[in-house]
Amino acid sequence: MIPVVRAEFLKLRTTQVWLWMLALAVIAGSLIVVGGLASDSVHTPRDVPDVFANANGTLLTAFVLGVLGITTEFRHQTITTTLLQTPSRWAVVAAKLFTYALVGLLYAAACAAVQLAIAVPWLSAKRIDFTLSDPDVGRAVFGPLLLFALFALIGIGVGALIRNQIVALVSGLVFILVINNIIPAIPVVKNSYAYTPAGAVTEILFPAHESTPGDVHLIGSGGGVLVLLAWALIPALIGAGYSMNRDIT
Amino acid sequence: MSAPGGQIVVDDLTKVFGGNVRAVDQLSFSVEPGSITGFLGPNGAGKTTTLRMVLGLVRPTSGRATIGGVPYRQLPNPTQTVGAALESASFHPARTARNHLRIMCTVADLPMQRADEMLDLVGLHDAARRKVRGFSMGMRQRLSLAAALLGEPQVVVLDEPANGLDPDGIRWLRGLLRHLAEQGRTVLVSSHQLNEVEEVADRVVILNHGRLVRAGSIAELSAGTDSVLVRSPNLQALHTALTGQPVTVEPVDPTAVRVRGMSAAQLGNLAFTAGVELHELSLQRFDLEELFFSLTSGQ
Repeated sequence: MIPVVRAEFLKLRTTQVWLWMLALAVIAGSLIVVGGLASDSVHTPRDVPDVFANANGTLLTAFVLGVLGITTEFRHQTITTTLLQTPSRWAVVAAKLFTYALVGLLYAAACAAVQLAIAVPWLSAKRIDFTLSDPDVGRAVFGPLLLFALFALIGIGVGALIRNQIVALVSGLVFILVINNIIPAIPVVKNSYAYTPAGAVTEILFPAHESTPGDVHLIGSGGGVLVLLAWALIPALIGAGYSMNRDIT
Repeated sequence: MSAPGGQIVVDDLTKVFGGNVRAVDQLSFSVEPGSITGFLGPNGAGKTTTLRMVLGLVRPTSGRATIGGVPYRQLPNPTQTVGAALESASFHPARTARNHLRIMCTVADLPMQRADEMLDLVGLHDAARRKVRGFSMGMRQRLSLAAALLGEPQVVVLDEPANGLDPDGIRWLRGLLRHLAEQGRTVLVSSHQLNEVEEVADRVVILNHGRLVRAGSIAELSAGTDSVLVRSPNLQALHTALTGQPVTVEPVDPTAVRVRGMSAAQLGNLAFTAGVELHELSLQRFDLEELFFSLTSGQ
């Protein structure tokens, strides 16, 4: 299993997608933080957590990286070599889950480092005291470490399930960016929002926040983590057990 | 009974795609170590599907395929047991040749320098650090071959390896395959280029419409197929002279016949004794292409 994981890291390193996605995550996240700091909405330490939490859209880079991590193999048919060397589909999917969770974590760490490097001097110049040991700040700054890892896992799961790169990317992004955000506005289904990726992100980054969309029922940040794990592992299991077993022609 | 290491056994293998396309139909054959087996058939005969079933990439509808007695998916060290080159396109275009092989080395726990050794072997030393995107078809074939041989496998399965190779490359490939078989490895090579196969293969398996048409050694297939072409302005006299001889005579055109069961020298002597004028007396060697077309046409 260890060689298969090491090979996944090597696969990732030997093309440049990881670098572009990382640049996108760091730059976009930093711009959002800069925008928040430059706006007139940050006056007290209580306003600080949202400056970081508002950069959560960059999570999508981890999702996209995960989807690419598996669908690129089908697109360029390197999956043939992969499965010839590692015939167990479970082992291949497990190695990718592990690898991309770790890469997601590193992405989030890079984003957090750059965002803090911008925010700490800026906030001190504004004479706003804040500390990372404050639970709300810590959650907003370090919560993405967990979230990036989980969204990378969801990407792998969706990719393993769907196999087709374009279909996986488009359906995944449309669901997360569009459908997921409509759910709180539809009375019949709005309480299922807590069990969707966007709902889980809200639970983890904006606990008991007054801006919870649609005033829906939420299940707490621990529940949010479990929800995201389910969104990652259920498609990954179906992918490894069924989709990846379909004929490779 | 356990199969000898490196023997490929295809047993009653059938693949039906989409409920009605019978790509492979009750196919059985075996491939022996220490020899080169040509896997022949027209395009669409089911060669690639069969190879992919042998390699665990396509699930058979029924029947099974084993390598050394074990289905591919249960091999403990697939890279070190079976090397396969399936198609020239299966590389990430933005990855270098060397990195492609280094990833394979990592999975198979092989030392990284194997990648460079293989690139040297297949003549891609200078292109090692170039992205595969810019590779010609022939270079991709060579890289596929390097990948197949990376783990020094007992069994080598190559799908149309000569495609895209120039004449030099084809000669080199032939030598390489011969060398691999001499080392006792099992070499299975699919091809539609029959003369390539005839020159290098010890055995052939001929497939058409997913079914086995003929399998055997070149020697078996060619036994009794040598014939002599005799051209004469007076075929009638030749027929008379051949009467009572243990031969079969088959007309070729109005001035020539094909005779089996007698050497060219014996026929020349017979014609000379009988005073029959000859315009041609030539030995016709076994021709795989002819056999192939006679077996696969009109089916």
